[in-house]
Amino acid sequence: MSFNRREFLKTLTTSTVIVPLTACAAPSGGKSGGSSGKARIVVVGGGFGGATAAKYLKMMDAGLDVTLVERNKTFVSCPLSNEVISGHGKYEDLQAGYDGLMKRGVNVMFDDAVAVDAAGKSVKLKSGKTLKYDFLVLSPGIDFNYGGVAGYTEALANTTHPHAYKAGPQTLALKKQLEGMQDGQTFVISVPPGPFRCPPGPYERASQVASYFKHHGKGKCKVLIADANDSFSKKGLFEQAWKMHYPGMIEWVAGAAGGKVVKFDAKTNTASSDFNDFKGDVVNIIPPHHAGKIAMDTGLANDKGWCTVDMLTMESTKHKDIYVVGDSTVHGELPVYGAPKSAHMANTQAKVAVGAIIAKINGVAAPEPFFVNTCYSIAEKDWGFSVVHIYRAKDGKLIYDTKAGGISPVTMADESLLKLQRKLESEYCIGWFKNIMADAFA
Amino acid sequence: MRSSLMIAMAALGFASHPAYAGPTEDLARTCNACHGVNGVSVGPSMPSIGGLPEAYLKNLMLQWKSDERYSATMGRHFKGYTEAELSALATYFAKMPWVPVVQKADDKTLAQGKAASDRCETCHGATGGTPDDAETPKLNGQWADYMHLEMMKYRTEAAKMPHKKMRGNAKKLEEADVEAVAKYYAAQPK
Repeated sequence: MSFNRREFLKTLTTSTVIVPLTACAAPSGGKSGGSSGKARIVVVGGGFGGATAAKYLKMMDAGLDVTLVERNKTFVSCPLSNEVISGHGKYEDLQAGYDGLMKRGVNVMFDDAVAVDAAGKSVKLKSGKTLKYDFLVLSPGIDFNYGGVAGYTEALANTTHPHAYKAGPQTLALKKQLEGMQDGQTFVISVPPGPFRCPPGPYERASQVASYFKHHGKGKCKVLIADANDSFSKKGLFEQAWKMHYPGMIEWVAGAAGGKVVKFDAKTNTASSDFNDFKGDVVNIIPPHHAGKIAMDTGLANDKGWCTVDMLTMESTKHKDIYVVGDSTVHGELPVYGAPKSAHMANTQAKVAVGAIIAKINGVAAPEPFFVNTCYSIAEKDWGFSVVHIYRAKDGKLIYDTKAGGISPVTMADESLLKLQRKLESEYCIGWFKNIMADAFA
Repeated sequence: MRSSLMIAMAALGFASHPAYAGPTEDLARTCNACHGVNGVSVGPSMPSIGGLPEAYLKNLMLQWKSDERYSATMGRHFKGYTEAELSALATYFAKMPWVPVVQKADDKTLAQGKAASDRCETCHGATGGTPDDAETPKLNGQWADYMHLEMMKYRTEAAKMPHKKMRGNAKKLEEADVEAVAKYYAAQPK
């Protein structure tokens, strides 16, 4: 490909550049980059968003000084954790360590970021250390608003009533409760008002729970979904799967039909809306979410509890040089086409943020962003489906491309083709998972 | 603005950076999530794409975009890319080295796969590493699971797969041989 001068310049100014910065870069505005002259970037939160950001910063410019602050030495993935609850997947497969990032030269600190001084550009850690930064990438994920369901508490979540909506010990606790159920009993899932992380998550969980019942001689068990919302992600695909694989086993109660759970009585195992009581043998309350606490404390969230960002760079609209990626952001204005809170979205947002940060360090315009999301759900063995989203920049805004993306076909011309489609996507789901884990952590 | 920018670029050594492929690289980065860094997949159901022939990749992507070819997921992606972008991505990934992920299989399966791979050999080469023409993909060290799934597509009558010869040959394979053939090619280093 040959460039004329105009195209060449255009390419440079619209693209992410890869230059060794060690020798020549003063961070933006000529601020002190430390004695070595390197730009210092602190990443808070080592999930899909933060790990991807840390890795790609080093991959695209090995000279950057990148520190990742993460509480846990082992990451546990939410994607595919529903399959662990049902026994179709292994807990070990959800795990990743941070050795891969360390090998890439990321300084990984197992610590808790407790406060951000946005004006002074530093992060305070629980251990007492303070990290100065030129750029901060915040990827704190979500925290729960336990007050959203009166009577449900963090203490209950950690003991008798796991929400299991952050994968980890609670995933295994819920699995154990499921395995302890007798035939004919009821598993209640309460779904919080949107937005919540992994929009199809509660419905995939219902499917996986039903799958466990079906394959363990507990076919008279029921799953009841008490939903604060009136519709849900991939609804047609899930309802088709339920009818086909679990007829009569899964009941969904919409918000408008009194499905919004507002209180919980742990003694009687009853979740209640203003109109209905849902008594279960296992009651899985998923509490409402908001942006991770540190993002809230830093003043990055709007009045609904989500961080607003420049849609094209992921830079916070509240504080300069802070980039927020992943589940804690609200990305896109339209309620229907706003970016979903998924691992893939966090991964793609992290890459955009990295491109924008490196461009800023080099004093050039941020590259044109491109966001892609693929989100698979497995409803039953060999029965997977997905939703795809493509977002592009147009006139400074994030636009969901309605000509692309969308959900897997619900009906197809031929039964054999439908079966093939579901089989392929159930397998692609696992392949996607292995690759995205490697893309973030290896 | 432009001239000062150019001086700044030159000072930073941009002009002499050969590895940077422009906006295509920014686009390609999003492919990594499913197909691995440099197009080397680590997920057995997902194909490695780095180092596959340019014409093959381009064909495939454009056919998915226009729904001329059945895909479970990729067609929905590629409707969000322009034809020029897809062509550039094909060029970008084709320039990468093909990194075979050599997978082990037992001797019996390998022998069965080799014996059944006669009709594959004409176009893909005896071990899959030296395809006959620029529109034929390498198979050596490609993921066995992916190839098996791909064969299921070719063997499903209702799936729109435009390559007539491939469709015919895939259907001629015995059901029991499909997996063996996939494993045979997956086990080949070159």
